[in-house]
Amino acid sequence: MKSGIILLVGTKKGVFVYTSDGGRKRWKGSGPFLKGNEIYHAVYDGRNKEILASVNSGHWGPTIARSDDMGASWKHSETPPKFPKSSGISVERIWHITPGPEDEPGAVYAGVAPACLFRSEDGGKKWSVNEALLKHRTRKRWQPGAGGLCLHTVLLYKGKKKRMHIAISAVGTMFTEDGGKGWSFQNKNVLADFQPIKYPEFGQCVHKVAYNPSRPNTLYQQNHCGVYRSDDAGKNWIDIRNNLPSRFGFPIAVDANDPDRVYVAPLEGDFSRIPPKGRFAIWASDNRGKEWEKMDEGIPRESYFTVLREGMVSDGEDPCGVYFGTTTGRLYIGRNQGREWESISEGLPPILSLSVSTL
Amino acid sequence: MIRVRLTAQLKDWTRGVSEVRFERAENLRTALKLLDEEFPNIGQRILDDQGRIRNHVNVFVNSSNARELDSEETRLTDGDVIYILPSIAGG
Repeated sequence: MKSGIILLVGTKKGVFVYTSDGGRKRWKGSGPFLKGNEIYHAVYDGRNKEILASVNSGHWGPTIARSDDMGASWKHSETPPKFPKSSGISVERIWHITPGPEDEPGAVYAGVAPACLFRSEDGGKKWSVNEALLKHRTRKRWQPGAGGLCLHTVLLYKGKKKRMHIAISAVGTMFTEDGGKGWSFQNKNVLADFQPIKYPEFGQCVHKVAYNPSRPNTLYQQNHCGVYRSDDAGKNWIDIRNNLPSRFGFPIAVDANDPDRVYVAPLEGDFSRIPPKGRFAIWASDNRGKEWEKMDEGIPRESYFTVLREGMVSDGEDPCGVYFGTTTGRLYIGRNQGREWESISEGLPPILSLSVSTL
Repeated sequence: MIRVRLTAQLKDWTRGVSEVRFERAENLRTALKLLDEEFPNIGQRILDDQGRIRNHVNVFVNSSNARELDSEETRLTDGDVIYILPSIAGG
């Protein structure tokens, strides 16, 4: 039994903080903090015992805020992510935050729109842009997805500090092995059927990439045009839609204990973005996407839910808990690998993101 | 004397102060720079990365929206009052 779980819920109206013990049956909620701001992502940085939140104000622009007292008070970044004047562009939104490696307690990454990566060396106080991505040879040809040209995924690798994957909608998955000095595309066999060339070098609408750090060469991807797995650290992708009811959805999560078990949240398609037959379900595969099982026990029969790309996560408890939050403000937990769902809250503002950590 | 009136929505940056005064400022950009020195990082809430007034922020000089004047380069004279306000949003 772990000492406690913290579940951070980023919403259109602020961030909510939920805590529970390892049993995860009773939850204590607080918030909203950073009220009125869209929180695209909030994470608990266990290295510094701080919450980091991407704060997107419709009026006052984006910034990153930190709290060391579980949300009661916040400090804004001294130098938030900001593009140099020479770029001619401005940060519109901060989409994603990933704390760096354990032995670099100051390192934090942030993905923004228009797509770029920022790094902080001091726990989130000051940020600097990744110049190689800002000046990438293909940048002028990058096109936004419906949510904007956003960098929404950052995957780091234990023991390999210079290796990193990022994902940008609608550019695709990119990879560096020199700490971000150079970036290459890794979109082989990933369909982009809205393009004249169906399998281009880049231009894929990747919605989310996930992995279990214990098996770093296996990546899973929910894309606009399919669900994919890579067994060779992103070099090649295999379509694993198989018996899923749809190829379309936004989030994807890997079981924190079982790297073969993966979760998706299918929607009918981009034309409607509602669940098949109006009944939302999480689908899980125990065999890396060969077969999928529908898991809707505890979810209302009528459930026109949408779960956004950051809206589903798994914890590291045993059995693994899976969480999803909907744009209708409902928050669910499936304590037993998602086999039965229980509501944590039914009345939150539209949920943009979840993250879960051990305290 | 240039007065700057601040919306309560910026209280996270202004420590709740609603007005500041500067002895002089040649133009709006200079006044906003002085404001940023007074309240660190407030400048980036008002101006985007390119130094332009954010789309959904309105800066008035007396009763005129700076966008209808010379935007950030609007010249200021003694007695001017700058209002920094969120644009109206919603229906």
